Amino acid sequence: MSHRWGMVVDLDRCTGCEACVVACHAENNIPTVGEEQALKGRAIHWIRVERYYEGEFPEVRVKFQPVLCQQCDNAPCEPVCPTYASYHTEEGLNGQVYNRCLGTRYCANACPYTVRFFNFFNPAWDKPLHLQLNPEVSVRQVGIMEKCTFCVQRIKSAEVHAKMEKRDLREGEPTPACVQSCPPKALVFGDLNDPESEVSRMTRSRRGAKLLGELGTQPKVTYLQREDWNAKNI
Amino acid sequence: MRSIITDLSLVVMASVAVSSFFLNRASLAGSFRKRIAGTPQVFTPAHPTVLDSAREFLGWRDNAVQPLAFTHKRHVENQITCTACHEGVQQSAIAGIPNIKVCMRCHALFAKDRPEIKKLTAIFNSGLDLPWQRVYGFSPSAHVKFNHAPHIHAGVDCSTCHGDVTVMTVAVRAVNLNMGFCLRCHRAKQVSTDCITCHF
Amino acid sequence: MERRDFLKATVLTGATAALSGCEKPAQKLVRFIPEEDLVPGVATWKPSVCTLCSAGCGLMVRILPGEAEVVRGGKLGTIQMGLAKKLEGNPNHPVNQGRLCARGQAGLQITYHPDRVNGPLRRSGPRGSGNFLATTWEEALSEVVSKLGEIRSKNRPRSLRVLSGRLRGQHGELVRKFLKAFGAPPAMVFDPLDEPVLRQANLLSFGQASIPSFDLARTNYLICFGADFLGTWNSPVAQSAGYGEMRQGRPGSRGGFVQVEQRMSQTGGNADEWIAARPGTEGVLALGMAHVMLKEQLRPHVQDNATRLIAGWSEGLPDYAPSPVEEKTGIPGKRIERLAREITAHVPAVAMIGGLPLAHTNGLFSALAVNALNTLLGSVGTPGGMFFAPRPPMQESEDLTEDGNFVRDLLGAKLDGTDVLLLHNSNPVFATPAAWKVRNSLAQIPFIVSFGSFVDETSELADLILPDHSPLESWLDDVPESGTNRAVVSLAPPAMQPLHNTLAMPDALLTIAHQLGGDLGKALPWESFQDMLQDSMAPLRTAGGMHPPPSPEAFWTQVQEQGGWWGDEPKQFGRLASPHGRAAVKFTEPQFDGEESSFPLHFQPYVSQAFLDGSLAHLPWMQELPDSLSTIMWGTGVEINPKTAQRLGIEQDDLVEVRSQHGSLMAPALLSPGIAFDVVAMAMGQGHDNFSRYASGRGANPVTILAPVQVAETGSLAWAATRVRVSKVGKARPALFSGGLFERPSELQSR
Repeated sequence: MSHRWGMVVDLDRCTGCEACVVACHAENNIPTVGEEQALKGRAIHWIRVERYYEGEFPEVRVKFQPVLCQQCDNAPCEPVCPTYASYHTEEGLNGQVYNRCLGTRYCANACPYTVRFFNFFNPAWDKPLHLQLNPEVSVRQVGIMEKCTFCVQRIKSAEVHAKMEKRDLREGEPTPACVQSCPPKALVFGDLNDPESEVSRMTRSRRGAKLLGELGTQPKVTYLQREDWNAKNI
Repeated sequence: MRSIITDLSLVVMASVAVSSFFLNRASLAGSFRKRIAGTPQVFTPAHPTVLDSAREFLGWRDNAVQPLAFTHKRHVENQITCTACHEGVQQSAIAGIPNIKVCMRCHALFAKDRPEIKKLTAIFNSGLDLPWQRVYGFSPSAHVKFNHAPHIHAGVDCSTCHGDVTVMTVAVRAVNLNMGFCLRCHRAKQVSTDCITCHF
Repeated sequence: MERRDFLKATVLTGATAALSGCEKPAQKLVRFIPEEDLVPGVATWKPSVCTLCSAGCGLMVRILPGEAEVVRGGKLGTIQMGLAKKLEGNPNHPVNQGRLCARGQAGLQITYHPDRVNGPLRRSGPRGSGNFLATTWEEALSEVVSKLGEIRSKNRPRSLRVLSGRLRGQHGELVRKFLKAFGAPPAMVFDPLDEPVLRQANLLSFGQASIPSFDLARTNYLICFGADFLGTWNSPVAQSAGYGEMRQGRPGSRGGFVQVEQRMSQTGGNADEWIAARPGTEGVLALGMAHVMLKEQLRPHVQDNATRLIAGWSEGLPDYAPSPVEEKTGIPGKRIERLAREITAHVPAVAMIGGLPLAHTNGLFSALAVNALNTLLGSVGTPGGMFFAPRPPMQESEDLTEDGNFVRDLLGAKLDGTDVLLLHNSNPVFATPAAWKVRNSLAQIPFIVSFGSFVDETSELADLILPDHSPLESWLDDVPESGTNRAVVSLAPPAMQPLHNTLAMPDALLTIAHQLGGDLGKALPWESFQDMLQDSMAPLRTAGGMHPPPSPEAFWTQVQEQGGWWGDEPKQFGRLASPHGRAAVKFTEPQFDGEESSFPLHFQPYVSQAFLDGSLAHLPWMQELPDSLSTIMWGTGVEINPKTAQRLGIEQDDLVEVRSQHGSLMAPALLSPGIAFDVVAMAMGQGHDNFSRYASGRGANPVTILAPVQVAETGSLAWAATRVRVSKVGKARPALFSGGLFERPSELQSR
């Protein structure tokens, strides 16, 4: 049976600490662009924590929301790519094929979640920081779009090992870097094709909602809304 | 076109001169205060010259120049299997080129009087390893992550992709490992041809 | 071409590693024989210990073979070696249980940092000029030995001082033994992240001068006064894990969380209710709740040392009735009554205090008030409450409180007469108010040796730099003080070979001790720190955790493999020691430096999510990490309420000057609704003069302009006690983050 990878973000557990952001950088060789490029909006964070203020002081509240590529089943970034670099994989991921990418950036333009990033410059690391690079992940050159892949290298590695050992994937295998690091365990990842997997069960939660679901993108990330303790208990 | 190459070469030469000046002084702290962080804001192509870019695109590579006249033929004749030296291939993505300690496992005892082995032993005794040059390997812009282990487990013979090593002295690229070559076999064996299987 | 362009070009080709397509193979460099047995492409996982904050989480390091440039026998070449590629939490470690915070993961960049000191250095110009020349370990160590020998022979052993960060585990023991055997005073610890006021309060209330732990996973209601416990305070990963369980880990039961602070922190953003009591009145609010609980008999009446320390407790806290509390805190009396009823209806409940409330001049009162509240709630040493992590049964020469205190010695002029100063893991020149003139005081010392891996504002004063290995290259041990209900001793061998010509600081001290000989040599008989660690762990073999106890060899192997020793899960929390407090306290108004008329705003620096106290500002991942609340990267800003800003004629991104009686700084204004009208806040950590290429000359350091006000009972800096005025001086461009491919993101920020 083939897999269909999905994720659940429990906003009631998420504390906005950004451990996921750094884990992703470490795992995926994301370049550090520097202040000047960051000022031009070119910083690259495949997963980011969005912060929304509600109200005014002193009745002010904050909501944190980690946003990453939603791996949409009806992805707006896929039909606009002239070279088919952004395409839908057999396991439901939105794959980004770096060697096909010409850098037209239509995909980033189409993405309503603004989770696609472009390499405006050839990434460089002041030696010996280049030793931190993960050899199992491509280092994208200038002119290439990149985005969250649900740590596809970990997915592939887990599948290859399971096949070599002639067994199925276990629960919790594979785990993307962000999910692995999250201290309050707000992120859950797994196979949506398995109705008993944790991610499937949590996707069915009554607190579940999709980000910009009304656009029809069919994202595979489900956000569990923060519960309002005051409403229940006062 | 020519002027771009000339400009770039000038920048490269000037900056090599400047950087060697800095690197020679063991002075630290003061020079840190003004260095620039992150990706620099000059023209940063993926290749230093247009010629390099063309060579990579067209797959032109110089033949490998090896430090010793290693012959695969002789080793295969002596019943040494591929995995005896290329250890990683069954467990990992990389077959790897063995380090000199692997050579010395045998050559500390065998064929010690041969001229190449004498060279080998001298290098080993001076604490150095051999600077082998890679023969196989995809260009970086292919962004392909080939994983040896599942291929070995699926029973693909080393010679399928690396040619008949039993007739080679120096390793050469006997098989043209382009994508069509990979796809032909993947389709025949009905294994995944999904892009993301290899390109990530 | 301008120098700046030259340097840009240099960075491109000189010392960077761009993608492999661009880089010529290192043909001129020789290759050394690998020193490890590595199979190409096969990853191994090794345990390690995170040393970046006081939580002491356990790490797992993913090692993959790779080619690195090293020097062997004086020659530069490359070598195949195991390279750390990713840091994750150790799943078996009781503190963090497999998870790791943003900062811990960035620790990888310390090892590979381009500005790491890669060999011993000797000063070669005037002190502080930043000019150093390479020297050898033999020369450097023998110079230290001769200097120490000199002061010992002159019978002035007390002129040797050590200035260090947090000292725990055997690393701390080694320093203490060294100093004691030499006859020198105790090490001066300078750890801006420590909580001396909280320790003092816990000593008085509960008999233990320790940082508390919290059983959040079983709590139904948490009220937190000012502590950023989900971000940077105490043991954030352990606390976040407990918080996650508190919220959604028990089907049908969700714990509530109230945060009391004047500036919305990352932690506060998660609260169900956010209360902005006036600065310095947090203790009053806590006692206001206690008053209601006593009056309405919502909790069994308890008389305990912690409550006896509060004046008026036995009379029912008449000074803390809702009306006077409303007057002082600005929080309506009805709300306080509701909070009191709510918290008692949802026991087990617990109160927490840390950070800014304890940085006021009346911080001790607030801490004692919260201790009393916890006692009333019955949450001290009970499930869902607060407790103290058990200490492992190891030989310890001295209690933590016996270490010296840098601030006390600095201000008490105890640094006079110091001939030799050894520096490690501490940057007081950066992290203290300019008014204390730390740089001047340290610069007077004739001979300064730094063991740090980096040149920073303090170590640039050194005469000798003896660079330590990075943590991943070192034998590490730690005894976490909180975040676990089990006794824990973390321990790990080096996860990778040293990249540079560095020497582990404990081994350097041992070498120096042996060369000096005499009592010092006898007190430190071990050949290496590894041997000292092995000896120190021996008593733990039979102290639980491993059943049946393994043989000594098997124990040592197992400890190294799992990343340490941890005791058995206790059935209940440990009993408290006898409390020390006698005199009852009452509320005193917090004192602020600066007249309100000239300095109308409270200045609240806070521990930064990315840089903590500034010690991580040199890591590029941390510089580019967008702050959770302001999304600012590569800089810091002044957080100010939009109404206050409007009144002062300040708009978003304006460059403002923040001026106290003791200095001024400039930074961009960040308008934020999550801050009180009379407060401005700034993250600590930027404003380094000299701390690697990534942090130097960037941003502003809020600590420099703080008033030199101390908390009377502990002598620690009252860093919330400064008043400032803010005015626009120009325009700025903070780098804010809002997603992929946006120009001028600050225009799109929802404010």
